[in-house]
Amino acid sequence: MHEMAKVTLENEMDLILAHKRSMKLAEIAGLSLSAQTTFATAVSEVARNTIDSGKSGRLILNVEIDQRDKYIVACIKDEHANNISREGFEYAKRLVNKYYISTKGTETSIELYYYISPSFKIDIQKLDEWRLFFRNEPPISPYEELKRKNEQLQKLSEKVQKSDTQFKTLTNSLPLIIFSLDLEGQLLYANEWLIKYSGESIESLNKSKWKSFVHEDDYHTFLVLFENKIGNGEIAIRMQARLLDKAKGEYLWHQLSLTPYKDDNGNLQYWTGFIVDINAQKIVEETLKDNRELKQIQIQLKESQQTQERYIEELNRSNQELQQFAFIASHDLQEPLRKLVYYSDYLINQYSSSINENGIECLTKMQNSANRMRMLIKDILVFSQIDKERISLSDVDLNSIAYHARQDFELVIEEKKAVLIIGDLPVIRADERMMMQLFENIISNSLKYSKKNSSPEIHIKSLIKDDCVELSFKDNGLGFDEKYLTQMFTHFQRLHNYIEFEGTGLGLAICRKIAEMHNGKIWAESKEGEGATFYVSLPTYSNVNN
Amino acid sequence: MNTVTILIVDDDPDDVLIIADAIKELHPSIQIISAVNGEIAMEMLTSHLDFHHSLSLIILDLNMPKMNGTQTLMALKENQKFEKIPVVIYSTSVNSLEKEKCLKLGALSYMTKPLSYKESIATAAHFIELCNIRSIQTGKTV
Repeated sequence: MHEMAKVTLENEMDLILAHKRSMKLAEIAGLSLSAQTTFATAVSEVARNTIDSGKSGRLILNVEIDQRDKYIVACIKDEHANNISREGFEYAKRLVNKYYISTKGTETSIELYYYISPSFKIDIQKLDEWRLFFRNEPPISPYEELKRKNEQLQKLSEKVQKSDTQFKTLTNSLPLIIFSLDLEGQLLYANEWLIKYSGESIESLNKSKWKSFVHEDDYHTFLVLFENKIGNGEIAIRMQARLLDKAKGEYLWHQLSLTPYKDDNGNLQYWTGFIVDINAQKIVEETLKDNRELKQIQIQLKESQQTQERYIEELNRSNQELQQFAFIASHDLQEPLRKLVYYSDYLINQYSSSINENGIECLTKMQNSANRMRMLIKDILVFSQIDKERISLSDVDLNSIAYHARQDFELVIEEKKAVLIIGDLPVIRADERMMMQLFENIISNSLKYSKKNSSPEIHIKSLIKDDCVELSFKDNGLGFDEKYLTQMFTHFQRLHNYIEFEGTGLGLAICRKIAEMHNGKIWAESKEGEGATFYVSLPTYSNVNN
Repeated sequence: MNTVTILIVDDDPDDVLIIADAIKELHPSIQIISAVNGEIAMEMLTSHLDFHHSLSLIILDLNMPKMNGTQTLMALKENQKFEKIPVVIYSTSVNSLEKEKCLKLGALSYMTKPLSYKESIATAAHFIELCNIRSIQTGKTV
C-alpha cells in the first residue's frame, strides 16, 4: 500500500475534503468522471457514518499495486462505539470493486478498493508526484468547496441527460429495433420501433415474455434463449424468428442479435439487442431453395423420362421381335401343314384299296387335325401382321371391299343359299388389306353361325357420324348372349363347341385389332336365337401413323 | 419342236413335284423344267437364247427368296422378249385382292396350291388349258 493522502474525519467540512481528495485521487489515477464520483461517493458515505458516530476517525487514501491489479484504496478508520451505524458502508459496498471491514481491538478499519485500468501505467516516480501534489494542495473555504461539488454534480447529470437523449435519438432514428434487457430477460429500454412494430408497451412485452410478438413456431427456441443464455452470459446470441407486424397483421422474418454488456470488471450487467427485418432475404433464400429443389425434380423427371423412353424403346423392340417371331413361325409352319393335309388326302384317295376302314378313319382324323391347325396358324399369321409398321393407308372404297368379300365366299353363299345385301358404303382412309380381312371375318362368322334350316341374310350398312363411319353387319343367325361380349373379341374364345363348327375363335380378335389399329372401335349387339349385329366405327380421315 | 415345255418357278420341291406329277398324269409328253427362285429363272431365260421361244407357260410361286413372284412377274413383263410368255400364279394365299393385283400385273391366272389330289388334277388341267392358248399362237399342239 502506497499512502497518498490523509484526511481526519471530525466534522462536515472534513467530509467535503474527504470527498474532494477521493475524487482527485481517482482523477489522477485515470478513472472516468463517473468512476471518480462513484468512488468519492462511497468514501463519503462511510466517512459520514464515522463523523456522525465514530471517534478519532480518519481517511487514508492509498494506491495498491499487486501482481495482477492496481487499485485506489480508501481506508477509513475509527475508534468505534459498539452501536455505530454502518448504513453508509452497506451502500458503499455496492459502489466499489472490493471492500474489507476488520476490527483490531477497538479500532475498525474499512477498506474500499476501486480498479485502476490495467493500461494505466504507474511507477514509483508517479506515486511520488501524487504524494507531492496532495501535500501541496491549497486549502479552500468549505463554502467554495460545496459550491464546486454541486457544480460538478450538475455537469455530470447534464452530461448523462444529453448522452441519454443522444442515445434515444440515435436509436429511434435507425431503422432497427434496439432494446436492452436485464439479466432476467426483462426489457430495460426499447426504442420507438419496437413499440410501434409490436404494438405493445414495454410492460406488456415483459409480462407476456414476448409471447404474442413471436410466431408460435419460433417461440420455443426464443424462450430457451431468454431463459438460459441470458442468465449465463454467452458471448453473443443470434437467432432468426418470425415477429408479428401489428400494423400489417403479418409475421415477418427478423434477425435477433443480443450482445452482453460487461462492466470494467468483466461482470455481466445487461444485454443490448437489435432486431433487423430480414424477410426479403428469407423469401429469396426460400425461393432459391425452392428453385434448387425444382431443378432437382426437373433433373429427376428428365432421368425418369429417359428411363421411360428406354423402356418404351425396349418394349417396342421386344414387341417387334414377337411380331416377327409370330410371323416367321406361322409362315414357316404353314408349308409343312399343307403337305400334311395333301399327303394324307393322297393316301386316302390313291391307296384306299390297300388301307382298311380303320386306317381310313385314322387318316381322316389326321387330316382334320392338320386342317384345324392350318386355320389357326393362318389366323395367328394374320393377327401378327396387323401392326403399326405394316399399315399402309390409302383411300379405300368400302363398297369394293364388300363386293370382293362376297366374291370370295361365293361357294359358301351358294351352298347355304345365303344373301349378302350391301348398302351404300363410303370411301375411307384405311389399310386396304386389313379392311378386306375385317369384312371377311365378320361375314364368315355370320355365315358360320347361321340357323340350320333358314337361309342366312347379312345386311351391310353404313352411317356417317361427324368424322367417323359406323358400319353395321346385321345377320339372322343364332345370335349370342351379350354377357359373352368381351370374351368374343379377345383371343381364342369361342362360344360354341368346336366340333360343331369349323374354324378358330381368332376371327373377331383380328377384327378388334384392325379396328384399334385404325383408331376405331368394334362392338356387337345380339339376343340368343335372334341374330346379331356387329358394329365397326372407323375414322374417315384421321392420321393413324401418329 | 412340238413339245410343250412348262417352267415351274418355286422354291419348294414338294410343291413342284405335286403339280408336275399332276400335269404329267394328264399329258405325259409335256416337258417340265424348274427353277428355285426368280433370279435363277431370269438367268435361265437370258443365258439360253432361244429358251423363251420354247416355253408354253411359266408357273410362278409368290413366296420365294432372292426374287419373289411379284418381282419376277414384273421383270418378265418389262422385258420385250419375255413379255408374251403366259404366266400363271401358283401360291398359298387366297385373297381376291391379291389375285386382282397379280392379274393386273399381267398374270393370266391365279391358282392356290392344292390341298388334295383332286384339286391338284384340276389345277393341272387348268394350267394345260392355258398352254393351249399359247400353242394356238405359236402353232404348237398338246
